[in-house]
Amino acid sequence: MIETLVKSGMQLVLILLIAPFLSGMIKTLKARLQTRRGSDVFQVYRDIFKLLRKGMVIPETASWIFSAAPYIVFVTAILVGLMIPMTTTHAPLSLFGGVLAVVYLLALGRFFLALGGLDTGSPFGGMGSSREMTISAIAEPAMMLAIFTVALAANSTNLSEMAKVAVSQSWKFLAPSQMLAFAALFIVLIAETGRIPVDNPDTHLELTMIHEAMILEYSGPYLALIEWGASIKQLVLMTLLVNTFFPFGLSSDWTARGLALGFLFYIAKLLVAGCLIALIETSNAKLRFFRVPELLMIAFILGSLALISTFLFI
Amino acid sequence: MRLPFFPTPDLGNTIITLMAAMVLVLQIATVGQRWLISNIRIFAVQSMLLAAIAGIVAYFNHATHIYYVAFLTLVLKGGLVPWLLERLAKRIGIRREIEPLINVPLSILIAGGLTLLGYYVAESFYHPEETSVRAALGHNTLAVAIALFLIGFFTMLNRRKALTQVMGLLSLENGLFLAAISLTYGMPLIVELGIFFDVLVAVLILGILVFRIREAFDSMDVSKLRKLRG
Repeated sequence: MIETLVKSGMQLVLILLIAPFLSGMIKTLKARLQTRRGSDVFQVYRDIFKLLRKGMVIPETASWIFSAAPYIVFVTAILVGLMIPMTTTHAPLSLFGGVLAVVYLLALGRFFLALGGLDTGSPFGGMGSSREMTISAIAEPAMMLAIFTVALAANSTNLSEMAKVAVSQSWKFLAPSQMLAFAALFIVLIAETGRIPVDNPDTHLELTMIHEAMILEYSGPYLALIEWGASIKQLVLMTLLVNTFFPFGLSSDWTARGLALGFLFYIAKLLVAGCLIALIETSNAKLRFFRVPELLMIAFILGSLALISTFLFI
Repeated sequence: MRLPFFPTPDLGNTIITLMAAMVLVLQIATVGQRWLISNIRIFAVQSMLLAAIAGIVAYFNHATHIYYVAFLTLVLKGGLVPWLLERLAKRIGIRREIEPLINVPLSILIAGGLTLLGYYVAESFYHPEETSVRAALGHNTLAVAIALFLIGFFTMLNRRKALTQVMGLLSLENGLFLAAISLTYGMPLIVELGIFFDVLVAVLILGILVFRIREAFDSMDVSKLRKLRG
C-alpha cells in the first residue's frame, strides 16, 4: 500500500513537472524554426504560476459546472498519467480495463471541458464545444482501434502488461500492423492536443479556434488548471505513443539505476517526438475545419487496417 | 538492458515488411491528399522506400544485380520522374486542389477496402505447410503490393484531370515493382531495365499529352474530351 503511494507520488511529481516543460520546449522549437527568438523553455511554468496567483472573473450566468470543469479536467489528466508506464514498465495505478479506462477518463475530461464551454452561454464557448465534440467523435474510435492492435499483440489491455511484453520482444513490434497503428495514433495525437493541421494552439484570436474558444471565459487559477491539464494530457498521449511503440529503455524494476536509465531514455524519446511535432506544425498550414474529418478518417482507416491485419497475419 | 534490435534470422524480412507497411500508409495518404505537388512528393518518398526495399533484398540474398535495380529506382522514380512532373505542374500553373469524383472520406474508405481485398488475395497464395523463407517474405509484402496496385487503379478512375491520373498510373507501377521484388527477388536485369525505360517514356509522353490536352481544350479535365472541336 505504502509502496504504491510512494510510486504514485514519484510519478505524480514527474508528470506535473515535465508536462509544462514539454509544451514550452515545443513552443521554443517552433519559434526557432520560424526564425523567431521566442520565449524560453520555462515560460509555461511562469505563466501557470502567475495565473494561479491572480483573481478570477466568473460570468454571472455560470452554474456549478463552470467551476467543476477545471478540476475534473485536471484530475482526469493526472489519473490517466498515473496509469501509463513512464520510466518503468510498472504503472503505479492499474484500474479496471487498463487502456479502456484511459480512453474513457480522457473522454470524461473532454466532456466536462465542453460543458464548461457551453455553460456560460457565450457564443464562442458553444462553438468551440461543438467543434471539439465533432473532432473527438472520429478521433476516439481511431485511437481505440490503434490501441487495441497493440493490446492484441500483447494479449492484454493492461498498460503495464503491454509495456512488459513490448520490452521483452521488441522485434515483434516491428510488424506492419504496429506500423499502421502508430500512424493512426500519431494523427489522433495531433488532433487531440490541438496541433496545427487541426487547431492552432498559439492564438485565441481566430474564428477557427477550437480549444481556445471553449476556455475563453476562464481566467485566473481555473485557467491555470485547464492549461496545466491540457499540457498533462499532451504529455500522457505522447507517452502512450512513444512507450507502446518504442519501448526501449523502460526499466523492469524500481532500482535507482533502472529508474535513472529509464528516465534518460524517456526524456530522449519525448524530445524526439516534440521535435517531430514542432516540424509538422511549422511545415503545415491549418486545415479548414470541414477538412479535418478527412484527416481523421485516414487515421480511422489506418487503425482498422491495423486491427484487421493482426487477424489476417500472425 | 536489452538492445533495441537484436539480430534475428528474419531481421531483413521484418524490415522489408515494415517498409512495405510504410509504403501502404503513404499510399492511403495520397488518396486523402488534395494537393498535386504533395502527391508528387509522396510518390517520390514512396519510390525511395521501394529502392531501399530492393537494396535490402539484394543484401540479404546476395543478388548483385538487384543493387542496380535499387539504384535505378532511386534515381529515376525517386528523383527524375517527380522532378519532371513537378516541372510540368509548375509550367501548366496548377494551383487548384484535386477534385476527386468520389468525395475524400468515401475514397479513403474504398482504399481501405481495396487493401483488405489485397490481403485476402495474398492470403490465398500463402501455404505455410510448404514453407520456405521465400514464401514467408512474399505473402505480407505481396498483400501490400496488390493493395498498391488496386488503389493506384482506383485513383486513376477517381480523378478527372489528366496529370492526376498519371499519378495513379505511377503508383500502380510501384505496386507491380513491389510484387516483382518480393516474389521473384528481382527479375533479370534486362527486364527491369525495360520496365524503367517504359515508365520514363510513359511519363514523358503523358507529360506532352497533358500539355497538348490543356492547349486544345483549355482544361485538363478528360471528361471534356468527349466534345469534338474543329
